[in-house]
Amino acid sequence: MVSFTVNGSVVTPSKNQKLLRFLRDELHITSVKDGCSEGACGACTVMIDGEPCKACVPDTDSLNGKEIITVEGFSDWEKEVYCFAYAEAGAVQCGFCIPGMVICTKALLDKNPDPSDAEIRYALRNNYCRCTGYVKIFAAVRLAAKILKEGTLPKPSSTNWTVGSRVQRLDAKEKVLGTGKYPDDFYFEGMLYGGALRSKYARARVLSIDVSKAKALEGVVAVLTADDIPGENKIGHIKHDQYTLIPVGGLTHYLGDAICLIAAKDMETLEKAKKLIQVDYKVLPAVHSIEEAMAPDAPKVYDEEENNICAYKHISRGNAEDAIKHAKYVISDHFETPWTEHAFLEPECATAYIDEDDDVFIYSTDQSAHQTLHECQLLLGSEKIKVQNALVGGGFGGKEDMTVQHFAALLTYVTRQPVKVKLSRPESLLVHPKRHPFVMDFTMGCDETGIIQGVKAKISSDTGAFASLGGPVLERACTHAAGPYAYENFEIEGTAYYTNNPPAGAFRGFGVTQSCFATESLLNMMAEKVGISPWEIRYRNAIRPGGVLPNGQIVDESTGLVETLEAIKPEYDKALALGKPVGLACAMKNAGVGVGLPDTGRVKLIVQEDEKLHIFTGASCIGQGLGTVLVQMIVTNTDLSADDIVYERSNTWISPNSGTTSGSRQTLVTGEACRRACEQLMEDRNAGKTLKDLIGNVYYAEYLAKTDPLGAKVPNPVSHVAYGYATQMCILDPKTGKVEQMIAAHDVGKAVNPLSCEGQIEGGVVMSMGFALREKYPIDENCMPIQKYGSLGLFRAHEIPEIKAIVIDKPGLSVANGAIGIGEITSIPTAPAIAEAYYKYDGNRRHSLPLEHTPYERKD
Amino acid sequence: MAIKKRVPYNAAFVACNGGCRQSKDDPSCNYGCIGCGACIDACKFGAISFNEHGVAEVQEEKCVACGMCAKACPQSIITIHDCANRIVVKCSNQDKGAVARKECEVSCIGCGICEKTCTASAIKVINNCANINETYCLSCGMCAVKCPRGAIYDLKGIYTLAR
Repeated sequence: MVSFTVNGSVVTPSKNQKLLRFLRDELHITSVKDGCSEGACGACTVMIDGEPCKACVPDTDSLNGKEIITVEGFSDWEKEVYCFAYAEAGAVQCGFCIPGMVICTKALLDKNPDPSDAEIRYALRNNYCRCTGYVKIFAAVRLAAKILKEGTLPKPSSTNWTVGSRVQRLDAKEKVLGTGKYPDDFYFEGMLYGGALRSKYARARVLSIDVSKAKALEGVVAVLTADDIPGENKIGHIKHDQYTLIPVGGLTHYLGDAICLIAAKDMETLEKAKKLIQVDYKVLPAVHSIEEAMAPDAPKVYDEEENNICAYKHISRGNAEDAIKHAKYVISDHFETPWTEHAFLEPECATAYIDEDDDVFIYSTDQSAHQTLHECQLLLGSEKIKVQNALVGGGFGGKEDMTVQHFAALLTYVTRQPVKVKLSRPESLLVHPKRHPFVMDFTMGCDETGIIQGVKAKISSDTGAFASLGGPVLERACTHAAGPYAYENFEIEGTAYYTNNPPAGAFRGFGVTQSCFATESLLNMMAEKVGISPWEIRYRNAIRPGGVLPNGQIVDESTGLVETLEAIKPEYDKALALGKPVGLACAMKNAGVGVGLPDTGRVKLIVQEDEKLHIFTGASCIGQGLGTVLVQMIVTNTDLSADDIVYERSNTWISPNSGTTSGSRQTLVTGEACRRACEQLMEDRNAGKTLKDLIGNVYYAEYLAKTDPLGAKVPNPVSHVAYGYATQMCILDPKTGKVEQMIAAHDVGKAVNPLSCEGQIEGGVVMSMGFALREKYPIDENCMPIQKYGSLGLFRAHEIPEIKAIVIDKPGLSVANGAIGIGEITSIPTAPAIAEAYYKYDGNRRHSLPLEHTPYERKD
Repeated sequence: MAIKKRVPYNAAFVACNGGCRQSKDDPSCNYGCIGCGACIDACKFGAISFNEHGVAEVQEEKCVACGMCAKACPQSIITIHDCANRIVVKCSNQDKGAVARKECEVSCIGCGICEKTCTASAIKVINNCANINETYCLSCGMCAVKCPRGAIYDLKGIYTLAR
């Protein structure tokens, strides 16, 4: 029997197991996060005899006599220091990687109290962060070193919580200390572990399912098939084409399709049970690509559909064909973008139980608790469900669909016992919808001065095994393909195809990341043809306040594209003067769903017994910092201070549905609803009421972001209530060919919290540096994608260049204190800017991503 | 002693675990350290010495990564590596598994378990011997704990013990 110490106490595991499992499942030390269990992510990093080690690696039997420290075992002083440093630096977003990062920080500073920047980067290099781009984590380490050296905790740099202040995020402490709970951190008495047996073949007919042996296995509580679903089998975000379980006689659509659900007493039994289920298939030829999907004799991915077309969009305004015909310069080219995996640090997990109202209660990590509620209600055919958002360890669009929530709900509904369903990392890589790969053909015509006359394009996307948000993503790719420029003639045709690949759906940028690569690359080529700089061609064409976008919308006073171009101009000229390869690109991105769809923010402010104002809104914080934004808005729009306000995570029984965290919409849409609720509160406050007087009062407000549908018969349709604008610039080191600096200037209307804004920009830029230079999601001939998190090609801490985030405030938006969401646009212009820099570096135009022949290309 | 304060922090590394030590007088492995001492002589910093198995071992804190030892080694089993990559393959045996198994008690037999295990696809079996590409290695140690032969080693001594 081995024993070792954990945070000073001697412990003896009940059996040999991975240290991670022992710490979490037996000791319930939940700061140690399970992000991959394969040694990649670093979220489970602990200190073993002073060295940072990933707890998923060693077996407990190998640790006899060792000393293990987790964040829980820090001294009170250390806890204060790391909480302060990480919060003050703005280093915490979704928070899932943070305890691991903090451990690495301590391990470094214990040995090296005054580390150089290079040493800090090196100390964090084996831990991934997908939100922050690492920049602010480095700052946190530097600050922690300074505080430890000085021995006193400084005052926060900002304690003024009004809009525009760099206050510390309200959820930083619970994320640093690991006390905040993600769904995987809930453990219930008698909790079962649920999981799915997935299809063996991407496309096959299920002939029979025999679960008798699995059911007979000791410790298995339930084995469910499609016949056990009380409500609708097929669910989905918009189009209900996602099978919860494939029935006998049904067709499988990809390797992630579930055939059976199992609930068992532990993970080992669950895995054993999967192997005992006998499924007979008739294997059928699969559809691997857009090309195969569109072939006239293509096998059909869906029995129910006529062909493999999931969505088709055609948008036309003016006469692009004619404008291009009469243009002085015309360029046509073909572009391709790849699949991209979100790679959020927290794999999908849901924990459900039957609550005191006899409801199925789900702790979820998702981008909308109400969406989870709606789809689970469909599945169970029951209203008796509650959903509570736990902390969400990153989403980026990848947690908009049902992956585990509906499984946990169904298993709990049937077994009446608590059930946790968590995807392994390989399952997560297979199951949640990815960024669509696109193939795009664009033609652009310009006059002799570089003014765009017209653009015509045809694009196709692979939306994989079910629709998810494939239709809206295609639509956004089309509507934004015109770019943030003032011209009239634009025509685009887009088609999204079903294939037997993993599904594709929402991913930060929502289709615009892809079409922007084509448009901006084309514009860079055009600048060369016209004989002006890429900066100049953009400045000449840039949409300005009062101008008309190619979609017909007249843009408002908040339109700040020109300001973003001007902001980078000095650095652009300087880099050019130094003879450095420089590339730049612009982008626009809507905030809010737009195009006439229902898009309502709803907020309830309730004064509770604790004499504080509690914010209830069915809007998920997936790491971006929504709670802090709303508190800042309330402080600005009322006479309350931050101490009077409590942010409550989204739920479905008190918090009103405020839509999905998608389309960079929560700051604006939910923000405006919150501001309106503040007006009501202030009526009472102005009447002299104290919070004590107002206990029990509910201030409810909503805001409909009203827009016109596509093709609306009005001269100037309002497609979106607001757009953010950006210019990003990439400077290469002329010697090494590596990225030396990324400069990102973003017009955000009004930055509610500039610190958080910078964090979004840095994180978005690094994420899209991956998209541009390295990240891959290969899918093999059996439609099986990559299964290893550590092989995705994500950027690591020591590899990122200097990133300069420029936040530009431009008033003019009449709602939400002028704030425009920034979530997605940070990732949009990055790839074309980098591509242009490499063209300047070696004269080689690259038309597909990740870019080839750069120092970032993997060679082995 | 050389003072090093730069990153990455490199040092020489001897890819032999000295497992054929049980037959020291007649080492059957043709690939490992032969205890000739050429590296020790070549090192101006006194950073190399024989360990208890008679195999050359580098003291990282003394090494400046000048590479003289690597040049001197007649077996070509010394390389300069990045010390932050604490997980190393301490074997250079290129014989096929069955042979390599007989030649040494801690030899790499090229079974490929490490390759399958590695999340970063950083370890590959080349010429029957595991090889870590340190550019991609995440130093997690999963290969070391899964290695059935103890040929992969954690220089910090946490995941593996000295053999």
